[in-house]
Amino acid sequence: MGVISIFSPAKGLIVGRVAYDAFAKALKIIIAVFIIIGLIQVWVSPQTLSRILGKEAGWKGLLLASTVPVFIGGSLFTIFPLLKTLREKGASIAATIAFITAWSGKAPLLPLEIAFLGWKFAILRISIIIPFAIVMGLLSEFILERWKPRKEVTE
Amino acid sequence: MDVGSIYLIVAFGLLLLSAFRDIEKTKKALKVTGRVALTVLPVLFMIFILMGVIEAFVSKEVIAQWLGSGSSVLSIVIGEIVGCVALIQPAAVFPFAGFLHKSGANYGVIVGFVMTAILIGITTLPLEMKLFGKRFTIVRNILTFVIVFIIGIIFKVVPL
Repeated sequence: MGVISIFSPAKGLIVGRVAYDAFAKALKIIIAVFIIIGLIQVWVSPQTLSRILGKEAGWKGLLLASTVPVFIGGSLFTIFPLLKTLREKGASIAATIAFITAWSGKAPLLPLEIAFLGWKFAILRISIIIPFAIVMGLLSEFILERWKPRKEVTE
Repeated sequence: MDVGSIYLIVAFGLLLLSAFRDIEKTKKALKVTGRVALTVLPVLFMIFILMGVIEAFVSKEVIAQWLGSGSSVLSIVIGEIVGCVALIQPAAVFPFAGFLHKSGANYGVIVGFVMTAILIGITTLPLEMKLFGKRFTIVRNILTFVIVFIIGIIFKVVPL
């Protein structure tokens, strides 16, 4: 940023302000998510989570993981740590991947999407994402369970 | 009040609740929070700066030119590749996609770009691999690319 300011003070200022605004906004969500991760680590038992999002939850858990995340905002950087925690607590691979895929629906950004791409585009995209999230989850889990590392190491 | 503030208020509310029920557990929770923050924040910070710099220097017109002209199925793949590589703020994805549309890209290319921009990124790979392992990362990203291609075809064919 300092480098840019040397070449063009005006651009440097813009980059600085844009980056700062985005960072400040993201920072709030990041802090919130980190706090929640800490709380999950301490309060949620593996048993409870497995019941909701683990393999034992079956198709209901998968459906949950493929629909609810559409409404969570944030970026991959906040979602990944959160999911890592859930995964450690017993979420299945299918649920984890379905979660990420469904999250790309990004419903909080819907007003933006509609404004720039039209409501038909937005509705179609989100409607398609949900079944595809389910497919992604199942397929990924199928593949990952069969693709084991050659040496006998537990992950 | 923006989304970030709402999330923060909820998080702190839960924290307070937790503190009332069990202060020891809450202290442990905050330790975890600190550890996670220390691991993730430095990487995040670097990436934000990098994104700001790239945004200031890569001309949007150039990108739109690459993606705008194609109307073939191949252009969907190109749109996806650009999406994977594009260092773009999440909120900027849709405005930019709108810009692509105005420049002539069909909806298949656009949705390919949007989906990969959100789900795949060279900046997220290191974090993903660190947290979930190589196999998980490889499988998810490749499968996502394929699935998004199918979605791209759907968008190209369905009249919008």
